[in-house]
Formats: sequence, C-alpha cells, structure tokens
Amino acid sequence: MKNKYKISIIIGCMCLLLSLGISIQIKTINNIGTSTTSTNEIENKLRDEILKTKEKYDNLYSDLEQVENQLEEERNNAASNNSDLEELEKNITEGNKILGLAEVTGQGIIVTLNDNQLLTSNNYILDPNSALVHDMDVIKVINELKNAGAEAISINDQRIIATTAIECDGNVIKVNGIKVGAPFEIKAIGLPEYLINVKRYGGYLMYLEQRGITVNVSKSDQITIPKYTGVIKFEYAESK
Amino acid sequence: MKIKIKKEKLVMTITIAIACFTLMLVMFMQFKVVRQTDITAIESMRESELRIELANWQEKYDELNEKHQEITQKISEYQEEKESDEKTANLLEKELEEINKLLGKTDVQGQGIQIILTDKSYTDSSDGENSEPIYDEDLLVIVNQLFEAGAEAISINDQRIVAMSDIVLLDSSIIKVNGQRLLSPYVIKAIGNQEYLKSAVMGKGGRGAELSELGYGVDVEESDKILIEKYDGTFGTKYIN
Repeated sequence: MKNKYKISIIIGCMCLLLSLGISIQIKTINNIGTSTTSTNEIENKLRDEILKTKEKYDNLYSDLEQVENQLEEERNNAASNNSDLEELEKNITEGNKILGLAEVTGQGIIVTLNDNQLLTSNNYILDPNSALVHDMDVIKVINELKNAGAEAISINDQRIIATTAIECDGNVIKVNGIKVGAPFEIKAIGLPEYLINVKRYGGYLMYLEQRGITVNVSKSDQITIPKYTGVIKFEYAESK
Repeated sequence: MKIKIKKEKLVMTITIAIACFTLMLVMFMQFKVVRQTDITAIESMRESELRIELANWQEKYDELNEKHQEITQKISEYQEEKESDEKTANLLEKELEEINKLLGKTDVQGQGIQIILTDKSYTDSSDGENSEPIYDEDLLVIVNQLFEAGAEAISINDQRIVAMSDIVLLDSSIIKVNGQRLLSPYVIKAIGNQEYLKSAVMGKGGRGAELSELGYGVDVEESDKILIEKYDGTFGTKYIN
C-alpha cells in the first residue's frame, strides 16, 4: 500500500512537470508563431509590391523607349528641310550620345577583371583581399581608360555617365546604384591603339595582375555600349 | 484470474508507451518549430531591406514617369510647330540647352559645398621643412564619394568634371584634370544636397575626414551659391557612332 502511494506521487510529479514544460513551450511558440506569420505576411506583401512596381517600371520603360524613338522621328521631320535646323538636330543627337542617353557602337577594347579563382591553392598570396577586385580597382581602371581617350565606357553593361558613382556593397560593387559582380567586363570605345595603353608596363592593370587578379584585354572593331537606363536631371544646379 | 491481471498490465503498458511516444513526438515537433523561428532575426532585417528596395523602385518609377510625360509633351510640341521653322528652331534650341547643361557646357549655380585640400607640411629633424602632397587617388575618391552623395556638378580648381574627365598624377606635385595641370591647394566644388555631400566626404569613411586625421589641410564650407564653371574643352565623338 505504501509502495503504491509512493509511485502515484512520483508519477503525479512527473506528469505535472511534463505538462508544465509543454504548456510553457506552447506559450512561447504561440508568441513567436504569431509574430512570424505577421512578419512573413508583411514581407510577402512587400515582395509582392516590389515585383509589381518593377513590372510597372519595366512596362513604362519599354513604353518610354517607343516614345523616345517617336520624338527622334518628330525632331527629324521638323528639321528635315532646313540646314540650320538639321545642324541643331545633329547637335542634340550627338549630345545625347555623350550624355549616355543613346546606345553607341564603335571600335575599342574590352577589359575583363576577375577575382583570383585559385585563391585557396595559392599559398603565396598573404592577403586574400588583394586577389579580389574592389571598387577602387574599377575606379582606377576606368580613370586610365578615360586618360587613354575613351569616349564611352560601361561596366557589365552599366553605362558610365558624368555623375556615375562606383560604390562598394559587400561582395559586389554598385554602379549607378545597380549591383554588379565579378567578373567585371569593362567596355571602352575609342581609338584601340591608344586605349590598349592601359596594358602598359607599370600601369594599373599590371599591378592588378601582380596581385593575382585575372586580367584580360582584347581589341574589338564592333563594341556596343548600352545607354544609361536612369534619368539624368539637376535638382540643385541651375544654369547661370 | 492470473490471465486477467496480465491482460490489464499489458493494456496499461501499451497505453503508457503510446502516451510517452505521443508526448515525445509533440515535444520534438515543438523543438523544431522553436529552432526555425530563431531565423526571425534575419527575416526582420530583410523586411527593412525590402522597404528600402521598394522605395527605390517607386522613386525610379516616378522619375521615369516624369520623363515620359516630358517627352510626350515635346512630341506634341514638335507636331504643333511643324509648319513654322522659327518655332521648331526654338524647340530644338530649348532641348539642346538642356542637354548642354547636363553635359557641363554651361556655368551652373546652386547649393553645395567647397572643399579646400592643402598638402601636409611637417618639420623633419634632418632636412627641415617638408611636405606630403595630395595624390590623384585622393581626388578620385573624393569625387566618387561626392557623386555617391548625389552631386550634380563638380569641379577641381575650376576644371569641370564631365563624363570622360580623367584625374592623373604627373609627378609628385602636379595633377592633371581634363588634360590641364593643377597645383595644390585643390579647391573642389560640388553642387547638390549640402548635408549629404558634407557627410559623404567628412563623415565616417570619408576621404576628407581621413586626410584631415593624417594632418592634411581639409577645409569644408557650405554655401547656397556654389558657382561651377563650364567645361571649355571639346568632347571626343570621333569613335562613338
């Protein structure tokens, strides 16, 4: 009889503990549970909205391209039978090319920069950071291309315009606010014989190669550089 | 009688076993759920990222929309004025004016900042007065940081930075911008949001702040009337078709 009493108490205690444990867990889960579903809901909603806005943007963008072509036609038409007007129209077309608002083609070079792919097996590289392409490297290579007479430049199809910033964003870089990653394909239009000078002894590309970065330079007769996809406008600067 | 007891015991054992099993199952499931919900930390971070992303796309959309309206308006203007050469010329000139402004072919004025950089000078015990110059890289970085902060126009010692402007070191004390030789002190002017521009250069990670810490002269002034001169060189257009 005494034995049975003891066992009952032990089992009772165990049951109490177990149910206590379970109810505590259920309570925490309930708390977390509601918060997860709500954040998930918000996130999903946000993702949804982003996708919708992107789609709206894409639609508007293709529409804009049509309208731009139409404007060019109208301009052409309006200026067609007057040489003064034609001159003005030519200046506009050329200005848009320099601004980066029109796609351009021509001869030039393509520089490809890539992180060192053999990073782990290359023991002689003390600092693995030096074998990666950084924002500063891209800035310097572009500066050298400009110095060598480039007339239009793009990185991974992002057109370099006057106000382009090249930023570091973790493992990638941002050009015109848009993320681009290695390998970096830098296209430049200009006289290839001058542009190829970026490969010169003591130039920045040589320094990059010494750091273990894969550098490739090739000439081409037909390089196409896309136009800038953003909007160029001044909010603060006014003509004087 | 004996068999009956055995049967009772068996039933009880099985019941307890099933109960134990179910309990364990429930607990394991709960553990799993708890472990999964630990990711909420990252997910809540992603929510703020998503918000920024959404705002960016909305801004881009609005900008594009504005441009779209502008162009449609221009089209109808050209159509209306098609008959008059004079009015068409006006329209073309207006467009060209805007393009020239964006290209840097006109003087522009607006709020912004002016940064004056001077070489670091120090006295060396062996050879007296010495100075450490500002390098082309410093200027490149500052210009890039200013554009990052939304600068619309920049000049260094009145050399306007345009699309294909280069900044290169000639020797230790001469820097070439747009092919023109510049000497220290370097006066960098930038038009844009003053707060953004200043914090981009003088805030944490800004090259201006770093140079200042190293002992270079860095003087920043905000102004509502920064005047930036036009680019008076020519744009290369020989190879772009």
